[in-house]
Amino acid sequence: MLRIGRTRRVLVHRRRLSPPLCVLLFATFALTARGADWPNWRGPDHNGISAESDWLDHWPAGGPPVAWKANVGIGFSGFCVAEGRVYTAGNADETDTLFCFDAASGRPLWKYSYPAELGDKYFEGGPTATAACEAGRVYFDSRWGDVFCFDAVTGKVIWTTQVQRETGCHVPDWGFAGSPLLFRNLVVLNVGDAGVALDKATGKIVWKSGKKDAGYSTPVPVQFNGRSIGVFADGAAYLAVDLETGKELWRVRWLTQGGINVADPLVSGDKVMISSGYGKGSELLKMNADAEPTRVWKNREFSTHISPGVLLGHYVYGDSGQASEGGPLVCVDFDTGEQKWEYPHVGSGGLTAAGGKLIAMTERGEILVGPASPDGFHPTARAQVLGGKTWAPPVLANGRIYVRNAAGDIVCLDVSKK
Amino acid sequence: MTPTRRQFIQSAAAASAVLGAPFILSAQQAGQRKFKTALIGCGWWGRNILREAIESKRCDITALCDVDERVLEQTQDQVNDLTGSTPKTFKDFRELLDRGKPDIAIIATPDHWHALQSIAALKAGAHVYVEKPTGHTVNESRAVVKAARDTGKVVQVGLHRRVSPHHVSARRLFQAGDVGQLGMVRCFVDAGGGKESPAENAEPPEGMDWDMWCGPGPLRPYNGKLHPGGWRNFLDYANGQLGDWGVHWLDQVQWFTGEKYPKRIFSSAGRPIKGPPVNDGKRMTGDAPDHQVVVYEFEQFTCTWEHRQFAGNATEKHRLGVYFYGTQGILHVGWRDGWTFYPTTGNKTVHEDAQLEQPDGHNIKLLWADFLAAIDERRRPVADIEPAHRASAMAMLGMLSWKAGRSLTWDGDKEQIVGDPEANAMLARVYRKPWVYPAL
Repeated sequence: MLRIGRTRRVLVHRRRLSPPLCVLLFATFALTARGADWPNWRGPDHNGISAESDWLDHWPAGGPPVAWKANVGIGFSGFCVAEGRVYTAGNADETDTLFCFDAASGRPLWKYSYPAELGDKYFEGGPTATAACEAGRVYFDSRWGDVFCFDAVTGKVIWTTQVQRETGCHVPDWGFAGSPLLFRNLVVLNVGDAGVALDKATGKIVWKSGKKDAGYSTPVPVQFNGRSIGVFADGAAYLAVDLETGKELWRVRWLTQGGINVADPLVSGDKVMISSGYGKGSELLKMNADAEPTRVWKNREFSTHISPGVLLGHYVYGDSGQASEGGPLVCVDFDTGEQKWEYPHVGSGGLTAAGGKLIAMTERGEILVGPASPDGFHPTARAQVLGGKTWAPPVLANGRIYVRNAAGDIVCLDVSKK
Repeated sequence: MTPTRRQFIQSAAAASAVLGAPFILSAQQAGQRKFKTALIGCGWWGRNILREAIESKRCDITALCDVDERVLEQTQDQVNDLTGSTPKTFKDFRELLDRGKPDIAIIATPDHWHALQSIAALKAGAHVYVEKPTGHTVNESRAVVKAARDTGKVVQVGLHRRVSPHHVSARRLFQAGDVGQLGMVRCFVDAGGGKESPAENAEPPEGMDWDMWCGPGPLRPYNGKLHPGGWRNFLDYANGQLGDWGVHWLDQVQWFTGEKYPKRIFSSAGRPIKGPPVNDGKRMTGDAPDHQVVVYEFEQFTCTWEHRQFAGNATEKHRLGVYFYGTQGILHVGWRDGWTFYPTTGNKTVHEDAQLEQPDGHNIKLLWADFLAAIDERRRPVADIEPAHRASAMAMLGMLSWKAGRSLTWDGDKEQIVGDPEANAMLARVYRKPWVYPAL
């Protein structure tokens, strides 16, 4: 199986190159140190892993230099970094605002505001989706179903659709939390009981699903047996749809307290790992030729409440336990479900991986960096970079790490090798 | 004076020594009995209790009730996952009691349902584990006490701070006289927060019986602020922070001191930070106060309750709990921070850590064990309905004083407000039809 989109193109290219040329090309790439963009939630490959390897993973006691800081208002929206610009959002005074900053300097470039409830039941509230950027356009969705397409440079609105009104779908209890998935000509969103797709050019609905509660995850695109499928959660299941048509291919009943299925599935080959909080635990599913899944293992302990883990080789690294309860970062064998280790008191801060290393945030705003290994987690660098609560995973792009807290304080750390 | 728990345990131990082997044998036999157990109200907290019922290995979960089909299905799935059995599901608790005939009913619905459902469960022959507070207005809570005594069934109220190890040891310290003569008590829960934004009303989720959710309370439009969770902030269905944390801490005051009720009550409260309540048919906020102070005058000391949902509490070490102020020092009893005694002598502070169960940091396991033991031994449980009613009433009277806008003189033996017919009428409320307010 190949992942669709960017990765596939890279892999196809690689096949055509002779090995020495390939090495040369990669060496050149590293020397130019352009790093990599992070154009959407979970990055270019939709898996929380950055291709960047040439960055500083050992810091002085005070942490790496802070390149810039800003505040965007309350929320959990993550970072989209593309073409030298970074986008994230927050809420203040019943208004959501999507901000565009210069990625290097933090200079505000544009912002766009629209009325939106804070929606602060049992958490701070504010927007939870992360913008997605492609071909000079930025796509973003609110928790209440407002979907926007902007000119990435000017911030001009190209189209907007109120997808909740258009579909009549029930707003799940914490709103539509998933981020847009850009797939060919479509913007795919976790709205309804098996997603909705809008035309990228116009915002018109191309396909939709039933009106029952969506889950809170973002569709993960997977290429399986020649078909492009999206795997995500609704309020009562993890499921897969044909991304082109919206046809539902399978669903695995997955009832979590409050319908709170948040974490994106982790996919490798024909295997799909799903996990939720509230003691639900995790399971590994194996798809057959028709993409229908059967259950392989179950682990009641590894329970992802908010932020999905990352899969590196045969091992999953992820936060386990309920947010605000200071649960551990754990490592689980993807093939067997066996836990390898746990590193305590991390909470639901979220993590990404780059160059074989984990970049993990604690829920209290400390950033930890260390090698990803099934033998244990031993941070080589750490820094208290934020206060308050952090749920948005850190993002590494072009030698910068971007982090934020619920109050909307943003810190951009310079981890480039100058 | 009623015996304290310690005295009770001592006398129970003495009784068992006198009775000898037969007493122990009967306890063992009783220990093998399994209870058909039903859960009414399958939200977050109800399921926490349910898990302990399952883990006790003495309860077969045979029936579940919730007005939200989604929640019902999730809970059934969870029980099946944990036990392999599939309980019957009901959206109407009357049907559950009628057809399910449980030995034990756990009631973990919003507060405005506690009294009616407890009484119905008791009359249907079940022992009851009900969440605090024991009612939404004082008289319906009294009616639960009466139903419990009339039926002779055990009613355990979810005041788990009566079994948590650090509360038990703090009480021992207090009752041994270490704090000296008590002059004042302060109960408090303080947090940060700001203005409350209204949320739009919406259609209830598919398969939800919203009318039944509102039940004896007013029929409000559906709003995500009310369900799931959130109803505590609405005085139609609950009593705000006072009806939540307040009951726990006020119960501690009664349980530590042995005092049954205050003689005079006055409350001031408001929503200066959250803003005026909104309920305009389109949008809603809660209407519970964002801060509240209640002064309770007891025979020997003054007790205050204070909650605040703004500004945090950075000037103090403790964010919530009870301070007992005595001639020998200050005893703070908290939650995750255990208890700490600050002597007036300048001696070192004495501290004991909390011993809490995960994931939610309470001690439901111990409270559940006591509940089953009380059924086996035909005794009153540690959080019996009667003291739990008195603690709940104390919270409700605080809210009543604020609503009435004046101080109340309370005759705790007759459970009447003295010389104030208008306030007395507020000890009950008019139910929405067809629900009938329980008779005393």
